[in-house]
Amino acid sequence: MITITDLEKYYATEEVRTIALNKLSFKVNEGEFVAIMGPSGCGKSTLLNILGLLDDPDGGSFVFNGIEVAGFNERKRADLRKHNIGFVFQSFNLIDELTVFENVELPLIYTGVKPAERKERVDAVLEKMQIMHRRKHFPQQLSGGQQQRVAVARAVINNPKLILADEPTGNLDSSNGNEVMDLLTELNETGTTIIMVTHSEHDAKYSHRIIRMLDGQKVTENVLSEYISK
Amino acid sequence: MILNYFKIALRNLWKDRTFTFLNVIGLSTAFCAAFLLGMFAIFGLSFDQFHENIGSIYEVYTNSQTAKGTEISNANPIPFAEALKEEVPGVKKITRVANGGPLVTFGEKTLKLDVLWADRDFFDIFSFPVVGGSKINPLQNKSSIAITRTTAQKIFGEMNAVGQTVTMRRDNEDVPFVVSAVIEDIPEASSFQFDAILNFTDLPASFYAANKDRWDAHNHPVYLQLDAETSAAKFEKATAAFSNLHFADDIATAKRDGAKPNSDGEYRQIHLLPFEDISFTDFNSNSSKVNKTLPYLILGIAFLILFIASVNFINMGIAKGSQRLREIGMRKTLGASKGQLFLQFWGESIFVFSLSVFFGGLLALLLLDKFQTLFETKASFALIASPGIVLGLLLSLLLITLIAGGYPALLMSKLDTLLALKGKLQHTGKNKVRDVLMAVQFCIAILLISGTLVLWSQLDFMRTKDLGFNKEQVITLPLNTKKDRAQLLQLLRNALEGKPGIISVTAADNILGLGKDGRSSTIVMGFDYKGREVKTNLLNVDYDYPKTLDIELIQGRAFNKQYASDSLSIVINEAMAKEFGEKDPLSVRFLLNDSIQYSVIGVVKDYNFQGLNKTIEPISYFMNPSSPKYYAFIKVAPNNLSQSYDRVKEVWNTLEPDTEFLGSFLDENIDRTLKEERKMTTMISAGSILAIILSCIGLFAISLLVVNQKRKEIGIRKVVGASTSTITVLLSKQFLKLVVFAFLIATPLSWYLTTQWLQNYAYHINLSVWIFLAAGGIAFVIALATISVRTIQAALQNPVDSLKTE
Repeated sequence: MITITDLEKYYATEEVRTIALNKLSFKVNEGEFVAIMGPSGCGKSTLLNILGLLDDPDGGSFVFNGIEVAGFNERKRADLRKHNIGFVFQSFNLIDELTVFENVELPLIYTGVKPAERKERVDAVLEKMQIMHRRKHFPQQLSGGQQQRVAVARAVINNPKLILADEPTGNLDSSNGNEVMDLLTELNETGTTIIMVTHSEHDAKYSHRIIRMLDGQKVTENVLSEYISK
Repeated sequence: MILNYFKIALRNLWKDRTFTFLNVIGLSTAFCAAFLLGMFAIFGLSFDQFHENIGSIYEVYTNSQTAKGTEISNANPIPFAEALKEEVPGVKKITRVANGGPLVTFGEKTLKLDVLWADRDFFDIFSFPVVGGSKINPLQNKSSIAITRTTAQKIFGEMNAVGQTVTMRRDNEDVPFVVSAVIEDIPEASSFQFDAILNFTDLPASFYAANKDRWDAHNHPVYLQLDAETSAAKFEKATAAFSNLHFADDIATAKRDGAKPNSDGEYRQIHLLPFEDISFTDFNSNSSKVNKTLPYLILGIAFLILFIASVNFINMGIAKGSQRLREIGMRKTLGASKGQLFLQFWGESIFVFSLSVFFGGLLALLLLDKFQTLFETKASFALIASPGIVLGLLLSLLLITLIAGGYPALLMSKLDTLLALKGKLQHTGKNKVRDVLMAVQFCIAILLISGTLVLWSQLDFMRTKDLGFNKEQVITLPLNTKKDRAQLLQLLRNALEGKPGIISVTAADNILGLGKDGRSSTIVMGFDYKGREVKTNLLNVDYDYPKTLDIELIQGRAFNKQYASDSLSIVINEAMAKEFGEKDPLSVRFLLNDSIQYSVIGVVKDYNFQGLNKTIEPISYFMNPSSPKYYAFIKVAPNNLSQSYDRVKEVWNTLEPDTEFLGSFLDENIDRTLKEERKMTTMISAGSILAIILSCIGLFAISLLVVNQKRKEIGIRKVVGASTSTITVLLSKQFLKLVVFAFLIATPLSWYLTTQWLQNYAYHINLSVWIFLAAGGIAFVIALATISVRTIQAALQNPVDSLKTE
């Protein structure tokens, strides 16, 4: 589903050029659950932004679903993004002025789904995430775990092929964190590809494969034992 | 989607209540001011536009070459109009017009009416619709009178006015006039304002009959309508032969005195002034300036105020955007396009603008009455409402919304997704736009404040300047009466003289300043002296005139009852003495009307008998007992001014119980002549107050945000040892720099503009640097006070709190 080859990304200020990604290559197959780990500043988030089509690489190739997307302009990326990719962030990134229902509904609005269908689909997802009773509440009225569930609901509302999760449990306590990880696992089991950046070895264990990074490069890649057979 | 935008707009506005409130207050006030000022200006500019033939109506005026230069006059001789129509092709219709305020009587009722005398063509040229009676032409017959609807009601009540007979005092007898027609009330935006209109030939004999065939007595304006094929320029050119024929004597005199012909080789040139410019035209002897400064100045102020409020909106919009970065980033991540984001933010702006326009409009309606009283205007929204104006208003509102709301919306929609998501705002450039806009705001505010100070000083100067006569102690009184004026004056004198508080009584045929009757006139006479023409203002006075007014006699004597020959003597001012050019002015003898010899018996010190926009012209007093004196002048003792005024009023009421007492002190009269200046000063003062308040609202909002953005910096600085005062200075400096910058830009501009304006006055204040420093100082102090509220608070904060927020 995703093939990156020799991917490069630099950040330049007036005086220094920092290499964030240094000829990074790997593949992610459809239906996989991949965890990306590494110390702060190793390029995890940069990678995730490029994979999420929020940013453009400076070199190398990025094939998404058989299409070379490196060099796509903002509008093309946005178009591809809104139909195929869902995001879950550490800080949830819910819009404070919108209710739970409206936050989840937002991607459907931008993909042009009719109101009646929107309501149906949002209700279904909220039901599934067990936050239906909170649909009229505003984000700040919810607990962290609930907020992240809303964010996950928003990420899956468009039935994306890929979900990118950036430290999804970073702001949560362990029980809420486990709940969210279970949610992601469930989604993965129904066929959604998941790429997750995390610091937590615990969370990484939910994945099939761990890619470890350092200084913009892949250092190791190990498939977790229970999936070796698959 | 729209609903979603609307919802989030409302919630956002509510969340940022302070900002929304400041924005709506600022914009509503600005819109209110802009509506009122715009209405006032448009009303001024719409004057006389209701006449159907407005494009082809002109007033005739003449440029005459004299030894001293070109003189301009719109007064014409009685036979002029008819001859012009007959002899020069192109005149479709022509009318002479004179105005006055005679007393009109019906049964028991006596009223003073504003009356026009005009020729028949008047109603063909101008659009004053007839609503009752002779529809064809109300001025068809001699001895007929047409009155306005309101006047008809005033005189006749419910009775049918047409066909009724009223009498009018003329040449000391009651003359009957039959009401031929009732016309619609005169629109407010009309230069002609009258209650009744009569045939031109019905003017008093001294005005009409005596001058019927004379080409050397100029006493009324003439208006004409050109036919469709004739342009004004073509017509003016075609009048050369006419002028040379009819004004041959004047031209010969001018040539003899050494006048130079104008660029066309003519000594006398007839010109046409478009009637649409009449209300802006000030005819005086050397110019016929069309001056639309006031309405355009006011439109300008309205525009500047809207500009300031819009800048606030832009700056607050941009600043607010920085608090919504995550929302913007998230929306973009979820696939929102630039267009969608632009529409969302612009939509919010439109919402705020609509709200402000609504409140502004409402406020303007509520304040309309006060505005009309304050600025002595009849302008109202109904008077200027036309499809064109409404459309123009809507378009300008849309344009303002597009720019002021669109610019921040555009900036926000263009933000980088990733940076926005991380809550980082690219700082490059954007603050420059904000700073420039704020500097321009303060530039405008300082400009208006210094303008206000200059206007105030000039107005105060004009009000308090020693004009060369006693204006505090002298009451003037128009002698409106059906009796003989001389007789009334004598009765008045007898009743007042010797009474406590009354010092002396005199009379003249002209007033000083502008009395309660609202009339003023200028009589200029020219005669030959030693082979050249001299011109002088003419004043027929009674005994004691200089004494009553404390006008200083510097040579010779004033008129005295003991000298019977004084009716052939004149008293002149210094300017007139200079005009005669004799070493001893008292030796001057000259002939008037080729036969009667007059001699100068006294010279008074120059005094400002006209407005301070004019230098002191020559004036001569004549003492002709038979010439009518329209105004009494009564000097009273300096203590108990109001008691003396009441005494005069009481005497008047016993002598003339049927006519209103219109006495007023001369200083009030002078004040009345300063109406335009006062109006302008009030407008600019109001404008500058608004400008500074609005600028400070913007400044306050921006200081709030900057302080919020710098919380961390402030915290760190405090941790490493910065004191409260250094931090306050640090935070205030960047804003005060803008005010200083604005001051440096505004001052030369203001200097230039106020100097230009002061040129209108022959007597004016000298601009002092202090005025401009004061304007800058006021702006600086107000700005400092505004930002201090927030900066000091921020500087006092415990650094632990501010560092925690990260």
